Amino acid sequence: MAALELLGGGFLAAFEIWAFLTIVTGLLVGVVAGALPGISFVNAMAMALPFTYVMEPTQSMLFLGGIYVGGVFGGSISAILINVPGTPASLPATWDGYPMTKRGEAKRALTIAVTASATGGLVSALMLAFLSAPFATFALKFSQPEFFAATLLGLVSVIAIAKDQPIVTMVSLLLGIAVGTVGIDPLYGQARFSFGVPEMESGIRFVVVMIGLFAIGEVVDLLATDRDLRPKKTGGKAIGAKLADILGVKGAIARGTGIGCLIGMIPGAGATPGAVIAYGIEKQVSKRGDEFGTGIDEALAAPEAAKNATTGAAMIPLLTLGIPGSAATAIMLAAMMLHGVNPGPLLFIMDPTMVYTIFAAMIIANVLMIGAGIGVAQMFAFLMRTPPAILAAFIIVLSVVGAYGVRNNIFDVYACLAFGVLGWGMKRVGFPSAPLVLGVILGPLAERYFLTSMANSHQDWTVFFTRPISGTIMAMALIFMLWSLAPAIRRLIRHIRS
Amino acid sequence: MASAPLSDKSGVTPRAGGRTPSGLVQHLPSLVAIGLLAMALILPGMMFESDQRPTAVGLGPAAWPRAMLLGLAFFSALWIARDIWALGGAGRRPTLSMPAEDGEYHFGKALIGLVMIVAYGWLMPIAGFSVATAVFIAIWCLFGGVRKPLVVVPVSLIGTVALLWLFMGLALMPLPRGAGAFDTFSIWLLRATGIY
Repeated sequence: MAALELLGGGFLAAFEIWAFLTIVTGLLVGVVAGALPGISFVNAMAMALPFTYVMEPTQSMLFLGGIYVGGVFGGSISAILINVPGTPASLPATWDGYPMTKRGEAKRALTIAVTASATGGLVSALMLAFLSAPFATFALKFSQPEFFAATLLGLVSVIAIAKDQPIVTMVSLLLGIAVGTVGIDPLYGQARFSFGVPEMESGIRFVVVMIGLFAIGEVVDLLATDRDLRPKKTGGKAIGAKLADILGVKGAIARGTGIGCLIGMIPGAGATPGAVIAYGIEKQVSKRGDEFGTGIDEALAAPEAAKNATTGAAMIPLLTLGIPGSAATAIMLAAMMLHGVNPGPLLFIMDPTMVYTIFAAMIIANVLMIGAGIGVAQMFAFLMRTPPAILAAFIIVLSVVGAYGVRNNIFDVYACLAFGVLGWGMKRVGFPSAPLVLGVILGPLAERYFLTSMANSHQDWTVFFTRPISGTIMAMALIFMLWSLAPAIRRLIRHIRS
Repeated sequence: MASAPLSDKSGVTPRAGGRTPSGLVQHLPSLVAIGLLAMALILPGMMFESDQRPTAVGLGPAAWPRAMLLGLAFFSALWIARDIWALGGAGRRPTLSMPAEDGEYHFGKALIGLVMIVAYGWLMPIAGFSVATAVFIAIWCLFGGVRKPLVVVPVSLIGTVALLWLFMGLALMPLPRGAGAFDTFSIWLLRATGIY
C-alpha cells in the first residue's frame, strides 16, 4: 500500500506542468535522436548532460529518462522505414520491419512496433516501481563485500554478453579498469599515473570517455561514408494496423517483455542483447519461424517489446545499488552525482519522492511514447533531409561542450578527443568499446569496495566468500563466467581434437 | 531469415555485402595486442611520480592497478598466442578482424575529419568557444559537401549564437573566451547577445 501511495505522489509530482513538459521534451528528443542514424540515444543522453546542470535533480532525471525511453524505440523508425537501424538494438526491426515497408505496410509495421515497445516499456516501468523498493530494503543488508561482489557480477556479465570474443572482451574490460585507476586512489589518497599533469590527478571521468568513444567515432563514420538517409519510395498504398493485428501478436509481446525485463536487470546487458535474444526465442516458438526475415508481425513485435522492457529493468540496479548496468544508466548516474545525489538503498529512505517521481515518469513516458513515436515517424522524411554534415557538426560541438561541462575544464575536452580518436580506431579494427566503457565505470567502484572490504577484514580475502549474500553473488559471478566461456572452451577442444 | 549483420554494443555494424580485408592486412589488429602487452608491462613502473613513495600500509595504492595490468598483460599474451596459432594454419581466423567494407569508406576523409575535430578542441582555449565553433561548423559543412553559402553561413553563425545563449546564458557554463583579441571579441559578442 505504501508503494501505491508513494507512486501516487510520484504521479502528482510528474504531472506538474514543468515536470510533465520535461518528460515530453526528453521523450521527443530521444525519439528523434534514436531515429537519426549516427546519433544513438546514448549519444543524445551524453549531449543532454550539460542541459541538466540548470535543472533540479529530479527534473534532470525525468529529462534523461524521457530520452532513454524514447531513444530506445526511436531507432526502430529508421530501421523500419529506411533499413538503417538508428541504434544497434533496432537491428532486428530491419529484418522484418523493412520487408513490411517494402510491401507498403510501413504504417502497420510502425504501429505494431510502437505498441509492442510501449507495452514492454510500461510493464518494465511497473516492475521498476513495485520491485525496486523491496530490492532496496534487501540491499540495505549489503556491506562493502556484497557491493564488491555485485560490481564483480556486473563486470563478469560483460564477458557473458560478448561470449564470441572472450579474450578481446577481457582485454577491453581490463583496459577500461586500468583507465579508471588514473588519479588519486580511493583509500590511500595517492596519485597514480598522473605523469606530472595536475589535471590527471583528478582522474578521467567516465562521461568524458563515453562521449569520446561513442559520439566522435560515429560522427567520423557519418562523414566517411556516403550514407543516403532519405526514405526509399515503395510501391502500393499505405496499409495501417488493425486491432486484430495487435491482438495477434500479444503472445510475442508478452514473451519479448518477459525476456527484456530479465535481461535488462543484468548489469552489462541492455537493449541490444535483449532484442536479439527475444528475436531468436520467438523464431523457435512461433509457428511461422521459418518465414522470419520476410516481414512477420511476431518477429517485429517480440524484439521491439524486449528492447523497451530493458529500460525500466536496467534502472533497478542503478537506483537500488548505485551500479549502472549500461551506458545509458551510467549517464543517469553521472547526472545524479553531478547534482550531489547518491543512488543506492539509502536513496529510498532519504528521498522517496524523487525515486517515485522517476518511476511515475517512466510509466508516463512509455504511455506517451505511442503518440511521440507515430508523430516522429510522420515527420521522419523531413528530418532526413537535414544534410548529415550539419547534423555531425552539431553533434561534435555538443559532445565537446558535454565533456567540458563535466568539470568546466579544457583538459576533459582533450581527454574526450583523445578517446574519440581511440574509439574511431577501435571501430576500424573491430575492437569492442562497450566493455572498456563499463570497465571505466565499474572499475573504480570495484576497487573502492575491494580495498575497504580488505581493510575492514584485516586483509582476509575469504570475506567475499564466507558472508552469505556476498558468497552467493560471487558464486553467481563464477557460474556466469563459466557459462560465458563454455562455447569458447568447446571450440578450443574441437580444434585440438581435429 | 534475411542475412543481417550483427553489430556489437559499440554500434559497429559491418556492412552487408562488404569487402573483407584479406591477407596480412587482416592480421594488422594483432599489433594492437602487442602494443597493449608492452603497455601493461611498462606502466606499473610509471605508476607514481619519482618523488612519491607509495604507502606501505595494507595492500597499498598500487595493488589494484598492478593486478589489473597483470590481467591485461595475461590476456594480451593470450591474444598474441592465439593469433600466432591462427597465422600457422589456413582457414584459421585471427582473434580480431577488420570489419568488412562496402567500398565506400573514405579513410582519407575520416582522417581529415579527426584532425578537424582535434584542431577544434585545441583551438577552443585560444580562439574562444564562439570563434572556434563558428569556424568549425562552417569548415565541417563545406568538407561534408554542404557548399551553399546561404546555408553554411547562417547555420554556423546562428548555430553558434544559439549554443552560446543556451550554454553560457542559460546553463551559465564558463565556456572558454579565448586569449588576447579573441577574449575581447568574445566579451563584445556576449554583451551584444545579451548574455553578459
